Amino acid sequence: MWRACQSERHLGQYYTLPTSHLHTIFPHGLPARYQQQVKTFNEGCVMVRQPALELISYLKAADYSKPAVRYLLYGLKGSGKTMSLCHTIHYCSTQGWLVLHIPDAHLWVKNCKELLPSSYHTSRFDQPIEASNWLRNFRTTNERFLSKIKLRQRYTWTKRESTEKGSPLGELVDMGVSRVKSSSDVVGAVLKELRLQAAETEESEGFRLAVAIDGVNSLWGRTTIKKEDKSPVAPEELTLIHNLRKMIDNNWCGGAVIATLSQTGSLYSPSSAYLPKELLGEEGFDSMDPFIPVPVSNYSEKEFESCYLYYLDRHWLQHPHSENEGKKEIIFLSNRNPSVLERLCAFL
Amino acid sequence: MAAPITGLLKPWTPRLFLVRWSRYNPYYLEPEPRKELYNMPETELTTEQKEERELKAVRPIKATTNSTTSSVFNDPVLSKFVNMMMRDGEKILARGILTQTLESLKRKQVEKYHKAPQGKKAEIECNPYAIFHQALENCMPVIGLASIQKGGKFYQVPVPLTDNRRRFLAMKWMITECRDNKNRRTLMYEKLSQELLAAYSKEGNVIKRKHELHKMAESNRAYAHYRWW
Repeated sequence: MWRACQSERHLGQYYTLPTSHLHTIFPHGLPARYQQQVKTFNEGCVMVRQPALELISYLKAADYSKPAVRYLLYGLKGSGKTMSLCHTIHYCSTQGWLVLHIPDAHLWVKNCKELLPSSYHTSRFDQPIEASNWLRNFRTTNERFLSKIKLRQRYTWTKRESTEKGSPLGELVDMGVSRVKSSSDVVGAVLKELRLQAAETEESEGFRLAVAIDGVNSLWGRTTIKKEDKSPVAPEELTLIHNLRKMIDNNWCGGAVIATLSQTGSLYSPSSAYLPKELLGEEGFDSMDPFIPVPVSNYSEKEFESCYLYYLDRHWLQHPHSENEGKKEIIFLSNRNPSVLERLCAFL
Repeated sequence: MAAPITGLLKPWTPRLFLVRWSRYNPYYLEPEPRKELYNMPETELTTEQKEERELKAVRPIKATTNSTTSSVFNDPVLSKFVNMMMRDGEKILARGILTQTLESLKRKQVEKYHKAPQGKKAEIECNPYAIFHQALENCMPVIGLASIQKGGKFYQVPVPLTDNRRRFLAMKWMITECRDNKNRRTLMYEKLSQELLAAYSKEGNVIKRKHELHKMAESNRAYAHYRWW
């Protein structure tokens, strides 16, 4: 499996994601423009870059009997944080880890169409639609683990429904997808079970857990959701956010937490902010501390050349002038920022 | 400032000088945005270009519009199209729609290209600029109609058109067709890309309108001698 052998020699080169992996591992993870690109080129290619390789080397070298290490990808807007995260998730999947991927935590704190008061805890609020969507995607990603993991505890949902101890995780997830009202509590139960069971060693059928969260700064910011009396809801009062925060605490072993900061979807933060201290705030930084920061920067010259040649090869750069004189202009206009380059080359 | 002979003019400025005005004293010279002309060494210049350079040292030059660039990607036909699509002076929005149109054209064609079998690949045109220019050419009418008064009545007389007028009519038809005949839910760039692709393969409503104009001109052939120019 040569995917595990990517090293510094392959920096700047593209590798193809097989189509089956694209549908199973990334039902909801990839950025929207990248999905359009995959559809247009009829293939999904990811560039091997320095931050992703660094992360993968840390994951290889980490000790999994100790508490989970937290990694934070940060950088300027459009410099490739989400793509590096997806690269790392692909690596984890091919190594057989269980991947818990939250594609964009910002979507959970804004534009909520249905807000139900939680049955489990009176002061909290549930988000049934988002929770059931996520459970569906989680089911597609981790099919093979669903029958292997057994529950340690009995969960009662209503007077007549309960999930017994020892039943497979798949049953719990199916229940959450079908019974939309209690899906947020199901999400909480799934997270708790995985946290407890990841600590086991490999011999007794344990597994390694990778928690990948994109836009982690939304967990400690403000929300735009309002209660019925128009007062704002704090993030702690949402069940999904509350359970996620428990996952990020490093009191469990046998896995890693990989997070990305994102200013694009964040609420009430200035657009020039990209450093962890600014985007996470006091509370967030204290909860994430200690973490390993991984900076993601714009393309280097070699990476830019590689991207340019890839677009030429895929017949994407069609303007007759874009070969020679246009190249200098493209470098100047985009400053080698990956997303700006992509948008620029889209109409050239 | 009607068209007086340039030789009679002296450098004068009117008492009320309007800024950002597009009408200038013909004494003013046109600006030259292309970079290559300034990099040419002395030996390669022809006599006319040498005279122009000497003139530029003495005469004032008109101010350029905001949309002139020295970029290699600058296209005068596309700039004209953007100006015609613009409403209420919102050039950013019009240019955004045009770039989205070019992108969606390219996406459709590249997707077709990658899915086509090896033999058919050479026939698919992926360049959105080539498609745009070819589509406009296919929409340009060859002959037009002018309303001429003779003996109290107005007759529609077939008349030759200048290149500028033909280009203007093609662009105008394209834009009005996309604005009027589109579904409320489709966006402008989507409808424009569909119409451009149809015009490229000589189908669609704009081509139909061009053919109708040609038929009208053919049917009014008898009045052609009413034209005196």
